[in-house]
Amino acid sequence: MTDQPNNWQRRTFMRQSFLTIPAISAVASVPLSAWAQDDTPPLSEYYPRFFEPQEWAFILAATDRLIPADDNGPGAIAAHVPVFIDQELAGDYGNASDWYMDGPFLSDLPAEFGYQLPHTPAAVYRLGIKATHVYCQRQYGTSFAALDKAQQITVLEALEAGEIDFNALGVADLPSQSFFAFLLQNTKEGFFADPIYGGNRHMAGWKLLGFPGARANFLEWVDQYDRPYPLGPVSLKGLQNR
Amino acid sequence: MATLSLFAVQASASAGASSDPDTLARGAYLARAGDCVACHTAPDGKPFAGGLAIESPFGTIYSTNITPDTHAGIGGYTEQEFAAALRQGKRADGANLYPAMPYPSYARLTDEDVHALYVYFMHGVEPVEHQPEQTDLSFPFDQRWGITAWNWLFVDQSTFTPTPSSDAEVNRGRYLVQGLGHCGSCHTPRGLFQQEKALNEEDGSEYLSGANLNGWWAPSLRGQPADEEGAKVSGLAGWSRDDIAEYLATGRNAHSAVGGEMTSVIANSTSHLSEQDLTAIAAYLKTLPAEGSTRGNDSDATGVAKESSTEQTLTRATGLDAGARLYLDNCNACHFASGTGAPRVFPSLVGNSLVNAENPTGLIHTILAGAQLPSTPKNPERLMMPGFAWRLSNQEVAALATFVRAGWGNTGGAVSAEQVKDVRETLNEQPGYSGAPTRYGAKTSAEHATDNQTPSPSKD
Repeated sequence: MTDQPNNWQRRTFMRQSFLTIPAISAVASVPLSAWAQDDTPPLSEYYPRFFEPQEWAFILAATDRLIPADDNGPGAIAAHVPVFIDQELAGDYGNASDWYMDGPFLSDLPAEFGYQLPHTPAAVYRLGIKATHVYCQRQYGTSFAALDKAQQITVLEALEAGEIDFNALGVADLPSQSFFAFLLQNTKEGFFADPIYGGNRHMAGWKLLGFPGARANFLEWVDQYDRPYPLGPVSLKGLQNR
Repeated sequence: MATLSLFAVQASASAGASSDPDTLARGAYLARAGDCVACHTAPDGKPFAGGLAIESPFGTIYSTNITPDTHAGIGGYTEQEFAAALRQGKRADGANLYPAMPYPSYARLTDEDVHALYVYFMHGVEPVEHQPEQTDLSFPFDQRWGITAWNWLFVDQSTFTPTPSSDAEVNRGRYLVQGLGHCGSCHTPRGLFQQEKALNEEDGSEYLSGANLNGWWAPSLRGQPADEEGAKVSGLAGWSRDDIAEYLATGRNAHSAVGGEMTSVIANSTSHLSEQDLTAIAAYLKTLPAEGSTRGNDSDATGVAKESSTEQTLTRATGLDAGARLYLDNCNACHFASGTGAPRVFPSLVGNSLVNAENPTGLIHTILAGAQLPSTPKNPERLMMPGFAWRLSNQEVAALATFVRAGWGNTGGAVSAEQVKDVRETLNEQPGYSGAPTRYGAKTSAEHATDNQTPSPSKD
């Protein structure tokens, strides 16, 4: 019970940090009735289970750079990709609960030897965000989330290329490109996985691809040649988007 | 004559302990045919030890222990007392049994079969000392003597004698359906005094003409096709003898798949009967003129469905109303745009008795909770329809059920969200039936967010 005031402060902090992300205004204008059944609260009311406030601000900004909202439709923020990542890191995946996580960890082995980092995915994010934060402080004098878009992209590209030496920033056994690979992979998953896992809100990712979702059978479409499929997607929970 | 047969019964009772394996096996088979185990076994209880709560309009009736235990069961019954309980609803102490026990049907049993059953229950069933809960109805239904009048009014069946105009097969079927099978208990409508309106076909055309069972429609079993051209098909008229026998053996056939109460009847009783007996039952049902019922026919309407505008609408998939769209999203994968499903796997919705029933409770329940076929010796696969209670709102189920009840020439009426709400409130938590994911990913971020409102010791 004693952590109630603390919770409240965190909520306030996150709402404010969220509001600094300009991308939310760029959501494509689809009538609300299309997802009237969807009672998912807006991202500003989401309370992360795994991420600390500063980490959350990083995830919001980074996923927004990786899949920005544009002419093709909503991006990672509108699709609640950060929610997806937060939930999977708080669960079995984050804890690598069914991975072999005892040593030896040999980083120079071929890929078929499997995962060779001594960190769980949750730890990869904790450490990777921490190192990136220290890097941004040294390089720009501010946090990643406070950088402008071009700077954020520069940092992400440096992470991807392995040009940022996490070791020198106080984080051992984690190449920056490994951290980036996790981030990119999980961002894609959050954009395309079923909305039941927290991301792909309103099936934005499926709308982009024209994927009809969990409808299971298209028997009557086998012989309907040259007719575009008219129905929007349906999710595992039965949500519809047109 | 009567004295003589009574004497014979007593003679065999005194010889009680000597039970030849053939009689024992026949008794076990007949107990299957009578489905004694269904009512006389509590959930997770020992077989025949009683204690199942049976809801009746008069209150809850608990089934009794019919194992041969001398104190808790019927171990002290003579064969004569056993026969009186079975055929006249008389307890050994002379009190009346409640007619939840289908003795008006069992009155048909021959002495020979009663004897085999007696031998089985005395020597083939494990005695269980458990004393089940006692039935305790409120006044006036606690006055068991009152049933005497009821019996006098409504129980007038005599021991079965073959009808000379029928062949041996139909007579065998007649005996099984009217007697041990007690099919009329559910499939014959009941009158003002909860009596079955007819106990056999001579008693009235309402015999096996379909009835409401706690809101579920137990369809008409009258199977003779109508004579006139274009007459509305009803009952089992659209089913062949083989269809009926297959359904009783496996819970599925080319037209339909079992749901509701009948599932356990097939699992515990009919799937254990011989092919000859099932064919005999089918042969008898096909002799009953299919009138007196207009609802629900489970007919072979495949030809009609192909042309149906419902199928065309679903195939075009444009301009759909809410119900049609929900059908495509939730049902179409198995029941198809034609509504006909696939033989022995996905039951047809076209002309389906459950879909077309006047009372939509059974259909709503099936949509919400799903259904599962029984595993039977001939078809062990327990095919399952998942429940949609976790996925569809009351409003959505109402729109969907209304669509299904009006599509493909079906004639069921509209369903309201209010009706769905009522059925949803009665759903039991049955593992494996809900179809809802329980562990991973079951929660939306909204639900997770709600969870996190409450401080948890593992956080912070």
